[in-house]
Amino acid sequence: MNFVLIFLITIFSFSLFFYGRSKTKSIAIEKNIKLNALPKFYGYYLVLWCSIPSLVFLLIWSLFEPVIIKAIIIETAANQGAIFNDKNEANLIYEKIKAIHLGTYFGDIDIILRESALAYAKFINLFTNSKVVLIFAIVILSVIYSLKKINKNNKARDDVEIILKGLLFVSSLIAILTTLGIIFSLLFESIKFFSVINIFDYLFGTNWSPQRAFVRDASSITAAEFEELKDAFGFIPLIAGTTFIAFIAMLVAVPIGLFSGIYMAEYASLKIRRISKPIIEILAGIPTVVYGFFAALTVGPFFRQIGENFGLTVSSESALAAGLIMGIMIIPYVSSLSDDVINSVPQSLRDGSYAIGATKSETIKKVVIPAALPGIIGSILLAVSRAIGETMIVVMAAGLAANLTINPLESTTTITTQIVMILVGDQEFDSPKTQSAFALGLTLFIATLILNYIAQRAVKKYREKYD
Amino acid sequence: MELMNNIKIKSKNLNVYYGEKQALFDVNLDLNEKEVTALIGPSGCGKSTFIRCINRMNDVIDICKVSGNIEIDGVEINDKNLDVVSLRERVGMVFQKPNPFPKSIYDNISYGPKIHGKGETKSELDEIVENSLKKAALWEEVKDRLDEPGTGLSGGQQQRLCIARAISVNPEVILMDEPCSALDPIATAKIEELIDELKKTYTIVIVTHSMAQAVRVSQKTGFFHLGKLIEVGKTEKIFKNPDNKMTQDYITGRFG
Amino acid sequence: MTKEQRLKKRHNAEKRFRLYGLASIFFALLFVLILVHNIFSKGSSAFMKTAINVEVFFDKDLLELELGATEDEILEADFFDITIESLLNVYLAKNVDEEDALIELFTTDAEIEIKTAFLNNKNLLGKKINLEITASDDIDQLHKGNYPRNLPEDRRRISDFQLKIYDELVENKTITKNFNNYFFKNGDSRDPEIAGIGGALVGSFYSILICLLLAFPVAVLASIYLEEFAPKNKITDFIEININNLAAVPSIVYGLLALQILLATIQLPRSTPLVAGITLALMTLPRIIIPCRASLKAVPPSIREGALAVGASKFQSVFHHVVPLALPGTLSGTIIGLAQALGETAPLILIGMVAFVVDIPSTPIDPSSSLPVQVYLWSESAERGFVEKTSATIMMLLSFLIVMNFLAVYLRQKFEKRWN
Repeated sequence: MNFVLIFLITIFSFSLFFYGRSKTKSIAIEKNIKLNALPKFYGYYLVLWCSIPSLVFLLIWSLFEPVIIKAIIIETAANQGAIFNDKNEANLIYEKIKAIHLGTYFGDIDIILRESALAYAKFINLFTNSKVVLIFAIVILSVIYSLKKINKNNKARDDVEIILKGLLFVSSLIAILTTLGIIFSLLFESIKFFSVINIFDYLFGTNWSPQRAFVRDASSITAAEFEELKDAFGFIPLIAGTTFIAFIAMLVAVPIGLFSGIYMAEYASLKIRRISKPIIEILAGIPTVVYGFFAALTVGPFFRQIGENFGLTVSSESALAAGLIMGIMIIPYVSSLSDDVINSVPQSLRDGSYAIGATKSETIKKVVIPAALPGIIGSILLAVSRAIGETMIVVMAAGLAANLTINPLESTTTITTQIVMILVGDQEFDSPKTQSAFALGLTLFIATLILNYIAQRAVKKYREKYD
Repeated sequence: MELMNNIKIKSKNLNVYYGEKQALFDVNLDLNEKEVTALIGPSGCGKSTFIRCINRMNDVIDICKVSGNIEIDGVEINDKNLDVVSLRERVGMVFQKPNPFPKSIYDNISYGPKIHGKGETKSELDEIVENSLKKAALWEEVKDRLDEPGTGLSGGQQQRLCIARAISVNPEVILMDEPCSALDPIATAKIEELIDELKKTYTIVIVTHSMAQAVRVSQKTGFFHLGKLIEVGKTEKIFKNPDNKMTQDYITGRFG
Repeated sequence: MTKEQRLKKRHNAEKRFRLYGLASIFFALLFVLILVHNIFSKGSSAFMKTAINVEVFFDKDLLELELGATEDEILEADFFDITIESLLNVYLAKNVDEEDALIELFTTDAEIEIKTAFLNNKNLLGKKINLEITASDDIDQLHKGNYPRNLPEDRRRISDFQLKIYDELVENKTITKNFNNYFFKNGDSRDPEIAGIGGALVGSFYSILICLLLAFPVAVLASIYLEEFAPKNKITDFIEININNLAAVPSIVYGLLALQILLATIQLPRSTPLVAGITLALMTLPRIIIPCRASLKAVPPSIREGALAVGASKFQSVFHHVVPLALPGTLSGTIIGLAQALGETAPLILIGMVAFVVDIPSTPIDPSSSLPVQVYLWSESAERGFVEKTSATIMMLLSFLIVMNFLAVYLRQKFEKRWN
């Protein structure tokens, strides 16, 4: 039905364009009036007024219709005597009702379901009819309004441009909307989580085992279960694992990234630079799932094998393997930014150092790098932020055990791994387990936000010095 | 008969190319020790290029090619095997725009000696820093704030800091590329006074745009035009009665 | 230390330093080569599949069909009996166990393959024909040399008896390697020998298409607004801060956003390219806005002023004159953004694309998978056969990415004007 409506609105708009354009042209000639804009702009004006209000309305209606109908039908079913203990059972019954309506349900149909299905059909009809009527009304009203304006010989081009500028502005608001969406999504579930789990138990707890939280509905927790829950959502092992693997990654990425950046900025001939810069960029372009596959299938077992040869116990999901591969992925972040930053250190500083008789490496170590330091630190912070937020490499190559360890040969888990593991299993809405994933997401979001902020400030401070 | 100082630096058939473009044509020029030689001429005539040859700073520019001879104390420095790092310890340079390092005043001066191993202990370095700053006539002004950044000084002070920095490694020659062009007249005067003192210890070559400055500070002057050394001689002679007509035209302001 | 010693030490330090730099670049290059070699060597065998030549007799009685049967009747008919008969003819099995072992050498889809052959040529009724039936995953891997033959029998999935049959087939040259059309045609499957990326390919295609259709117009319009029309006030600053932040948000957070708003609140269908496309579009927005703004900024003011001078409105000067010049850089940035979107996995996992989807999706609202998610799913499987399939999928993914990146670079170099 929606497609039909969109199609009709489109056709109508098209015809309005031609109508508006030709009518204004002919009236201008007939009554010898000077138009305030080219005829086509009157056409555009009509088109915009005809389509925008109705389409926006259609979009909003379509977004909310399913939710509202679902709420109504579930209410109706409850009134009919249906019993559900939680949201999952309610959803199940609603799906059955929908299936009956579509004719794809092959189970037993009791009286509750039958009545509910009839109600569903009724409401679907009601909503669809109302939608069509309202859209027609909106279209007609908009067209009348715009025709009136045209009759007064409005400055069509200006009006059209104002509307279009509004569209441009709204487009740019999407960025804010997305941020709001993210904050809302994370906060909504996190608040529910923190109403059950004390935030200090979360932040400072040292045990993470959400599998223990088998409670289905937060509102019906017994005291004993509550006690158990308290200890199940400790954040410390996760942040420890995340920072540990990120640390290993930086041990790889910073030296290699910095040295390649320095080499490309200071030593490389144009030819070498033209080859090496793309190669390093390739590292950034490889999807992380490919890194994860390589780490899990080749690097992890390889380290385990070497460990065995030396008599060490190395997990095949060692933090070392995951960290190493993550470090390689991050090299371009450090390298490219350092390259840019070093290049913008003024040549006069280098000349001053060379003139004293310093070698190139001495100049770089003692003059250029210190001068570029805020920018380099900024790039490293951005890389750390990337490492902390990385998901696929750790999901595939790091472990699931939330243990506190500083042994890189053991396996450990990270924040992002846990988010995936929690949400990929059976999802029970409204359980602290599912909500904990959002709490983790919120923590991750805040952490990366802070890191990015500091990094950008560092780079900005550096730019102010030299630009 | 006047006492002639020994020849410190000698260039013979010096040619310099920037890629396809030739910047210096067969320059033959002798520079005497413990004396100030000024190089004058219109913009872009090769003066800076010439002095940059003396401390091999042109090596830093990829497309620059140098051919010909430059001898310092009889030793050829355009030799591939010459250790450039040691050369620059003996030949210092001060640039047109002051370029102190973004470090403290103390660290600016101690940088050179530390690299060349000239000051091992703190007290040795302290002494070198104090001496250099005194010789550059900056000590009194900064002795109480050696830890402050060098970039916080005024333009004139910064340039004297750069001179102190060049002095800190005990060079024999100091090359100055238009050292006063970014400074106000008072700072300029201070530096010219300084140069007069410094020539007692160091051989100084100064590129300058200002003929008045050349007259004030130098004993010998070389006039460059379009990459060629047109005339060289005692400063008094060059400015009072030059041999070459082009020199005459330049100093009387007919071009440049 | 003498002066000479010190000098030598310094020059050695210089050489070492330079070497570290070069070594770092080599390390990066080496890694890329190792990775590519590893993937390609594991994955190239996936493009072939092992097949065994079997003589199939389309027995009229066993099939209970007549000449001229309709397609429906054929689809209803039971091909199981003639399948088993034909497969058993490949080798002499002395008892039921050996018969089962023999049947295991073939794919579980053997019956479907025979039925498909018949559907393509209904005149085969009552006749015999030689068909190449796909081998089972174990035989496939064995034939490709990926299977350790010399493990003791109880640690192997292939028994000694089966190995005997295999060796005979090899000697008689009845076992061959053909082009693996299943890899591209089929959707996911529990059996590696018939598993394919068809579903993932279509899923990725729809997702990226929706991502492009949503992200490109919004991003370009937003960039134009911010660069050309936005007043310098707090709101504009706030929008810009948001865009920069969004570019650095971890991808999994977008997954959580999609889960909460697209799936839980608006209740779009799970695991569909539609939801994936919207999520990817949100992620790709900042990645298009940033290069687009850079391109717009690079257009010199003289162009704008020239247009205004002939009486164009600001709007016309922007859209008719500035935007076309900024297009190459914008398109280039868009293609790169789409390439990144193609490789995204974490958010798609969260919206449910890890479900086991066998059918190839026909519309963007059918459940589907995507190429990188398929890689993830298969990498979790134990069967050896999936290793080569996963590697081959990565090869496809990387090929697409290489093409897209080359296209982006080509666009930028060929069409971008340098304003010097």
